[in-house]
Amino acid sequence: MIVAEQKPILELVNKLRGHKNVLLIGCATCVAECAVGGEREVEILAPALRMAMQVDGNPIQIRTKTLERQCEWEFVEEISDIIPQVDAVLSIACGIGVQAVAERFSEIPVYPGVNTTALAIREEPGLWTVRCAACGDCILDETGGFCPVARCAKSLMNGPCGGTRKDGKCEVDENVDCVWRLIVEKAQSRGTLETLMKIRKTKDWSNSRHGGPKRIVREDLQT
Amino acid sequence: MDQDTRTGSFKPEIVVLCCQHCISPKFDLKSNITDASGLMKLRLEVMPCSSKVETAHLLKIFEQGVDGIEVVVCPVNQCRFLVGSARAKKRIEYARSLLDQIGMGADRIGMDQGKGLKFPQLLELASKRAKTVLSLGPNPMKGGK
Repeated sequence: MIVAEQKPILELVNKLRGHKNVLLIGCATCVAECAVGGEREVEILAPALRMAMQVDGNPIQIRTKTLERQCEWEFVEEISDIIPQVDAVLSIACGIGVQAVAERFSEIPVYPGVNTTALAIREEPGLWTVRCAACGDCILDETGGFCPVARCAKSLMNGPCGGTRKDGKCEVDENVDCVWRLIVEKAQSRGTLETLMKIRKTKDWSNSRHGGPKRIVREDLQT
Repeated sequence: MDQDTRTGSFKPEIVVLCCQHCISPKFDLKSNITDASGLMKLRLEVMPCSSKVETAHLLKIFEQGVDGIEVVVCPVNQCRFLVGSARAKKRIEYARSLLDQIGMGADRIGMDQGKGLKFPQLLELASKRAKTVLSLGPNPMKGGK
């Protein structure tokens, strides 16, 4: 899922100062799963912001709405009759949702209420860890299902660096496994260690951010 | 500083959220629940379990102008639903961190554990919260109620 983290209340107060009537919109998909931008979080942030703005000396009205998916035009359309009644929007969806709302309703300022940070999985309650970097050239079959691009601090493609700790953790963060240790251990358990020694084709980075902004065309779906 | 605080007439409005399993069965919830000392305005709300405490609910109570909240839960290892007290504790900690960011003061809300409590003991817990809230002053939302 796309994972985000809430911005500090003070940062949001600074953004909203001067506005009187704000629509706070959540998204019931990824950011709800990572407990930062769903309906539950909307219900927490709305009173928190009303109080923070009151303390700041700039009381505001905050209306709330949670869309099923803020990254789909059909769902974004659901707020079209509310937009004329507010003077700003605060979105706690991921960056895609914020941009969709800003693009559809260009007449009104749309502020992001969260920082979108990763493509991650919920490892345990309250802990999300990155799993994918959207690099555009997936090799997970060659690395035992562990992504060295997203999960190695240096995105190394040919084995561990010299900094792996004795307990198998990454030198950058003692709480993070060295992904190359995981890759090697998996290959050992499967008896396929020799496959890691094969010379691999150079990774095609042109399909990641290095190739410029992504544009994906599917002619079979176009009208 | 608020006029109530300046004149010393500030009487904090305290809400006690209490798990029903903390209360003595002899405590009649229909009895008159008031603070005879005049220190505070007291309201008691009984919950089926402290796990019913949600961060959003706590903030909405403050948004209504209440000055302080005392949540009373069962001892962690005596929760009838196993993890209710532990969950309440974490949600209260989160609410406290938000109140701090908001600038209203984390100490407007606190948690205590108890079992078989009667009214005098609940009153004592509420009074403790009221005394803390007195130093923080009235809830800034009172004017916007």
